[in-house]
Amino acid sequence: MVARRRKRAARDSEERIPSPPGYSGEGLRDAGPGVARLRWEVSRAIPIKFSEKQQASHYLYVREHRVREGAKSSWPQKRTLFVLNVPPYCTEECLARLLSVCGPIRSVELQERPELAEGPKEPKSKFFQPKPVPGFQVAYVVFQKPGGVVAALALQGPLLISTETHPAKSGVHKWIGDYAEAVPDPEALRAEVDSFMQAYDQKVAEEEAKAEEEEGVPDEEGWVKVTRRGRRPVLPRTEAASLRVLEREKRKRARKELLNFYAWQHRETKMEHLAQLRKKFEEDKQRIELMRAQRKFRPY
Amino acid sequence: MEPALDSTGKEGKKKSSKKRTAAGSPVEGFLQPVKLSRAELYKEPTNEELNHLRETESLFHSSLLRLQVEELLKEVRLSEKKKERIDAFLWEVKQRIMQVPSTPETELTDQAWLPAGVRVPLHQVPYTVKGCFRFLPPAQVTVVGSYLLGTCIRPDINVDVALTMPREILQDKDGLNQRYFRKRALYLVHLAHHLAQESLFGSVQFSYTNGCHLKPSLLLRPHGKDEYLVTVRLHPCPPPDFFRPCRLLPSKNNVRSAWYRGQSSPGDGGSPEPPTPHYNTWILQDVALESHVHLLSTTLGSAVGLKDGVALLKVWLRQRELDKGLGGFSGFLISMLVAFLVSTRKIHTTMSGYQVLRSVLQFLATTDLTVNGISLCHSSDASLPAVADFHQAFPVVFLDSSGRLNLCADVTASTYHQVQHEARLSMALLESKADDGFQLLLMTPKPMIRTFDHILHLRPLSRLQAACHRLKLWPELQDHGGDYVSAALGPLTTLLEQGLGSRLHLLAHSRPPVSEWDISQDPPKHRDAGTLTLGLLLRPEGLTSVLELGPEADQPEAAEFRQFWGSRSELRRFQDGAIREAVVWEAASMAQKRLIPHQVVTHLLALHADIPDTCVHYVGGLLDSLIQGLKETSSTGEEALAAVVRCYDDLSRLLWGLEELPLTVSAVQGAHPVLRYTEVFPPAPIRPAYSFYERMQDRASLLPRPDKPCPAYVEPMTVVCHLEGSGQWPQDAEAIRRVRAAFQLRLAELLTQQHGLQCRATATHTDVLKDGFVFRIRVAYQREPQILKEMRSPEGMVSLRDTPASLRLERDTRHLPLLTSALHGLQQQHPAFSGVARLAKRWVRAQLLGEGLTDESLDLVTAALFLHPEPFTPPSSLQVGFLRFLFLVSTFDWKNTPLIVNLNNELTVEEQVEMRSGFLATRTQLPVMILQQLMVLAAEALPVLEKQLMDPRGPGDIRTVFRPPLDMYDVLIRLSPRHIPRHRQAVDSPAASFCRGLLREPGPSSLMPVLGFDPPQLYLAQLKEAFGDLALFFYDQHGGEVIGVLWKPTSFQPQPFKASNTKGRMVVSKGGELVMVPNVEAILEDFAILGEGLVQAVEARSERWTV
Repeated sequence: MVARRRKRAARDSEERIPSPPGYSGEGLRDAGPGVARLRWEVSRAIPIKFSEKQQASHYLYVREHRVREGAKSSWPQKRTLFVLNVPPYCTEECLARLLSVCGPIRSVELQERPELAEGPKEPKSKFFQPKPVPGFQVAYVVFQKPGGVVAALALQGPLLISTETHPAKSGVHKWIGDYAEAVPDPEALRAEVDSFMQAYDQKVAEEEAKAEEEEGVPDEEGWVKVTRRGRRPVLPRTEAASLRVLEREKRKRARKELLNFYAWQHRETKMEHLAQLRKKFEEDKQRIELMRAQRKFRPY
Repeated sequence: MEPALDSTGKEGKKKSSKKRTAAGSPVEGFLQPVKLSRAELYKEPTNEELNHLRETESLFHSSLLRLQVEELLKEVRLSEKKKERIDAFLWEVKQRIMQVPSTPETELTDQAWLPAGVRVPLHQVPYTVKGCFRFLPPAQVTVVGSYLLGTCIRPDINVDVALTMPREILQDKDGLNQRYFRKRALYLVHLAHHLAQESLFGSVQFSYTNGCHLKPSLLLRPHGKDEYLVTVRLHPCPPPDFFRPCRLLPSKNNVRSAWYRGQSSPGDGGSPEPPTPHYNTWILQDVALESHVHLLSTTLGSAVGLKDGVALLKVWLRQRELDKGLGGFSGFLISMLVAFLVSTRKIHTTMSGYQVLRSVLQFLATTDLTVNGISLCHSSDASLPAVADFHQAFPVVFLDSSGRLNLCADVTASTYHQVQHEARLSMALLESKADDGFQLLLMTPKPMIRTFDHILHLRPLSRLQAACHRLKLWPELQDHGGDYVSAALGPLTTLLEQGLGSRLHLLAHSRPPVSEWDISQDPPKHRDAGTLTLGLLLRPEGLTSVLELGPEADQPEAAEFRQFWGSRSELRRFQDGAIREAVVWEAASMAQKRLIPHQVVTHLLALHADIPDTCVHYVGGLLDSLIQGLKETSSTGEEALAAVVRCYDDLSRLLWGLEELPLTVSAVQGAHPVLRYTEVFPPAPIRPAYSFYERMQDRASLLPRPDKPCPAYVEPMTVVCHLEGSGQWPQDAEAIRRVRAAFQLRLAELLTQQHGLQCRATATHTDVLKDGFVFRIRVAYQREPQILKEMRSPEGMVSLRDTPASLRLERDTRHLPLLTSALHGLQQQHPAFSGVARLAKRWVRAQLLGEGLTDESLDLVTAALFLHPEPFTPPSSLQVGFLRFLFLVSTFDWKNTPLIVNLNNELTVEEQVEMRSGFLATRTQLPVMILQQLMVLAAEALPVLEKQLMDPRGPGDIRTVFRPPLDMYDVLIRLSPRHIPRHRQAVDSPAASFCRGLLREPGPSSLMPVLGFDPPQLYLAQLKEAFGDLALFFYDQHGGEVIGVLWKPTSFQPQPFKASNTKGRMVVSKGGELVMVPNVEAILEDFAILGEGLVQAVEARSERWTV
C-alpha cells in the first residue's frame, strides 16, 4: 500500500514531476557550448500513456542532443531531441505524430540503447537483420528547426499513444500483423542477394587485382611482402599453425631426454608421486568434510 | 534462470548440462580448489604416513573411498558411551528375569491360570494339544547376535537375548504338533506379565522372531529418554541336546495331519505324512542359537576388517530393503556367509571392510545357492543328509556347521535372485570405477517403487487363502502352521515367472513386515499384513512381442501349454506352415505392449490362483495419460513420433537426390526434439480449413484472422542440410549469409519443381510442407563457424576465438544434430526413453520452469538415467523412469559436480576427470547454478507420487504433482484460452476449447499453414525484452493459462539516474535525493496493453515491490 500512497502523492504534485539530476538544471543554460563536459541541458519528464483508459503513465525523459566538442555525431546539433524510456508499444510514426505539435519533424529513429560512438551505418536489410522485439527504447528526433526542440522541452503531458483517430496496434492484432509482414517475398530477397553478391564479387576482384599488382614489388624501405600466392608459398600465419610448430619442437626435445637415468631423477619421481598422493588426500579430505556438512553419510 | 546448455567439447558429445539460477549464496557449500604449499607437499614423509598411504593404495580403491567408508562406519557404529548404557540395562533385565516367580504345572490347554491383561502371542489352531506347562526361571540368560559381535548398526539397535528354558518344563515328543512352540509362547506370556509391571521398561511388546509367526519374542525397551536407544529381544530356547537332531531332518514330519486337520480325512488314510521342513527348521534355529554365536565370535573375533565388512554389507542390504521380514536376507545370514567365505579362504582376516564387501558381493553374484547349496559343515558323518536332500525341501540352501540346519530356509528363490541381481549390479558398478561408486553402492536407497518397472499389489491378503486351496497347498500350510501368505508366495511367484517368460528380467516380492503389538492384544492375523507387493523388472526386448508361441499342436507339451494358459491358448497356423498353440495379446501401440504383463498377470492369477482382477492393483501405466494426446487414449505417442521420423527420412532422401543444385548435399541431420523422440506432444499432420484463415495467394500462405480464435499451432521441425565445401564459397561472413540465402531459395524452387512440395524460403531457412508436416531446412556450410571465429591480430596473426554468433551457429548446426542423432540411437536401444524424456519435460514445464531450461539439457538429464542408471537398471517403463528423474534432480549435487552424460561411451575416464576438475576450477566464475526451485519441487513431488503409486487402494489423482504452486509469484497474468493454440494440452485438459481451424478429413493442402504462431510465446518474448531486467516470467507452454511473474529484488533497489538505466523506471525524490525506481503501476498496465486480446486479467498478489 505504501507504493500506492506514494503514487498518489506523486500525482498530487502533478506539475512538479521529479526530473532527473541535471534535467532541471536551469543554471546550466548559460554554460553554453564550449563546456568540455557533457552536460544535461534543459530537460523534462513528459508523462506518456497508451490511451485514455490507463491510470498510471510512463515518463519520457527528453533533452537536447549534444555531444562533446569536436566529436562527430550523425545527428544535427541543436535540432535533435534525445528521448529516453520510450515504451515498447510506441513506434517511430507514433512518436513523430506526438511530437509534431512542436514543429515539423525531419526524422525519428528508435534505438535499443543510446549511441555512444558513431560509426558508418550498415545499410539495413529487412531479410538479414530481422526486426527485433521492442523493449524500452531511446529515440533521436530531428526537427527541421531548432525551435522544435525548445517547444518539445516545454511540452506538457500526458501524451497519448493510441487515440481514436490514430489507434495503435498491440497484442493479438499486432502479432497477426507482424506475422503477415514476416511472410517472405522470395523475389525481393533474390534481388537483394544478387545485388549484394555483385558488389561483393567486384570488391573481391579489385582486392585481388591490387594484391597481384603488389606481388613481389618492394615498398619504400625495400621490403618485399611474401604471400601464399608467391612462387614459394609459406605457412599461413595462424595461431593453430604456430602451436603445431611449438608442439613438434617440444616432442623432439622430449625424445632426446633421458628419464629415470640418474639417481636424483629417480628420487624426484618418487617424491612427485608422494606429493600427488598427498594432494589427492587433502582434496578428498575436503570433499569428505563437505559431505559430512551436508549429512551425506546418513545412509537412511 | 537462463537457458544453459554448456557444451564443453568440440564434438558436442561432452555435454554437461548446467543449471543456473539467481538464488542461493555463491560461496557456501562449494568446493574450493586445494592449495598446499610446496614445503608441505615435498616434506619428508613419516613412517606412519607412508604406511597409511600404502595401505590405502593396496586395501582400498582410492583414498576418497577409504575416507568415505570410515565416515559411514562412524555414522552407523554404536558409540562406546551408548554401549555402556546398554550393558547396564542388560544387567538389569537379567536380574528382573531371574526374579519372575514360577507357576504350578497345568495342562497346555488349560490356560485359566493366565493373568488378565495378557494374551497369548500365538494363533493356537487347532487348540487341543497334549502336554503340560509350568513356568520356571530360565536356566541360563545369554546375549547372542550382532550386539555381542560388535557388528550391529544404527539405527534400530537390537540386542538378542536367549533364555534357555529349564529341562523340567519340556517333555518328550514336544517337537510334535507345535507343542514346543505353545510352551515357548506361554513362557513369554508369563514373563511379559511380570516384566510389564516393572518401571524399568518403557514398553513391553510382542513381536515375531524374523517374522515367523510360530515364534513370538518379547521386546523390552528402556523407560525414559533411552526409549529409542535399544530394543532387547527375548527368545526362549530349549536346553541343549534336548531335541534329537535326527527327528528334525527336512524329510521328517512333525506336524501330524490327523491333528492339524481335525480328523484324518478318509482319502488320506494310507498316504504317508508330508514332511515339514520349515517347521523343523524353526525348532533347529532355537537349538543352534548359541553354537552360531560361538562360530561367529571365533571367526570375526578380533578381525576389525571383517566386522567393518559385515557392517557395510548390512547397510548395503538395508538400502535395498532386502533384510527385513520373513525370509529376508538378514544381517545374521550375511555374517554367516562371511564366516563361510573365511572358512573357504576366500576372505582373509586381514582384509579391509571394503575388500570383504567386494568379496561377498563377488561370491553372491557368481554363486547360485538355489542350485548349488553351500555348507559350513566339514564332518563326513554318513548319517548327515546330503545337500541334495535340502534342495528338494528348500529353494535356497546354506547349511550351518551342524549340517542339519538350513540357514536360508525361509528365503524364497525370488528373494535370493534379487540379492544376486543386486550383487551383480554392484559388482559391475565397482568394476566400472565410477567416481561416486560409494554413493551409489551404499548411500542410495532402492525402494521397490523406484527399482522395478511395474508394481502390483495383491489385496486383500485373505484372497491368498483361497489361492492356497486352489493351488492344492495343504501340506505347505501344515508345514507353515497355517501361514497362507508364506505358503502361497513361492508357487505364485513361480507361476508368474513362467507366464511372463521372456518379458521378465526379475520378479521380486515384498516381505510381510514384522509387526509389533501390545501384550494385551491378540497377535495380528496373517491378512493384517495388508498387501503383498510384487515388483517386475522387465526386459525391453521381450516387451515388443504380442505373441506367446507354444509347441506344435501334435507335441505332448501342447496339452501342458493349453493347461497353463487356459482359454487364451489357441491353435494358429504360422507363415512357415507350422500349426502351433499360441497366445495372442491385444496390444496395438507401444504403450499397450508395455502393459501386456498386466494382462498376463491378471489372466494367470484368475485362472490358477482364483484371484480375481479386482484384487490385483497393477501400477504400470498410470502416468501414461499425461503425455497422451486428447483423442488417443491407447497410445503414448511413440507411433506418431515414428511417423514423423519416417516422413523426415523420406525428405532427406529427396534432398540427397536433388538434381541441379550447384553443390551437392553432404549431410542431412535432424535437429528438432521430434526427431529425437522427445517432443512432449508429437505433431499431427495438419489439415487446415481455408475458411478459417486469411489467404495470401501470391505467396501461397495462410494467415491468422483477427476475428477467429488462434489457429492450431504448427511448429516447423528443423533439419540441417550441410552442403559440400568448395572453393567457390566466399570467405567473408556476410557474403556467406547471402550465398546461403541463395541456396535456400534454390532449394525451395527445386523441391517444388521436382517433387511438387509446397515450399517457402527465407534468408535463413526453407519451410517445406510434406504429408502435413512442416520441416524447416537450414542450409549450413561446414567452415562458417570457423570464419566467424577468425580474428586478426595487429601483427597479422590469425587466431580463433569463440564469439556469441559462432557459438550459436555451432550449437545449431553441429551440436544439436549430433545430439539428436545420438538420442535417436538411444531410443532404439531403450524404447522407454522417449516416454520418460517427455514425461520429465512435461513435468518441468507444468511447474512453469520450462522457459529456464533448454529442451536439450532436459533430454540429456533423461539420457543420463538410461546411460548411467547405477545403482538401478535402465528403466523400461515410464513411471519408474520419471520417479528416478525426480530423484536425480532432487538429490544430485549440482553445485559441485557436473552431470556428465557419456553418449555412445565416447568419453574416456581421463577426459571425464579433466571435465570435472575444469568444472571445479571455473565453478566460482560460473553463474550460481542449481535449479534451486526445481530441486525443491522435485523433492516435494517425489514422496507424494511414490506414496500415491504404492497405495494399494489406488493412486487417487495422479496429476497432483503436475499442478504448479502459484502462491510464490508476485503477479499472475491470466490468459484467455481463445488465443492459446495449445490449450487442450493442459495438465487438466479443458472440457471445451475453441475450434482451431482444422479439418477432420485431409483436404487440399497447397497453401503453407500458419507456422510457429503462438500468441503466449510472442507475448512472453515481448515481456522478457521489455521487463527482463525487472522481473522473471514463468509459463507452461503446453496450454498454460497463467503466466507467473517474480520481481527481481535487486532491480528494486533505488538507483541513481543513468541514461542507460531508465527502462520502465521513473524518477522519485527520496530523502532529498533523486533516484530511479521501477514504475510498477505503469508496468502492471503495460502487461495488459502488450497482451491486448490475450490477457484476461493481471493480478498483483503481493506488495513486495513497494520500495
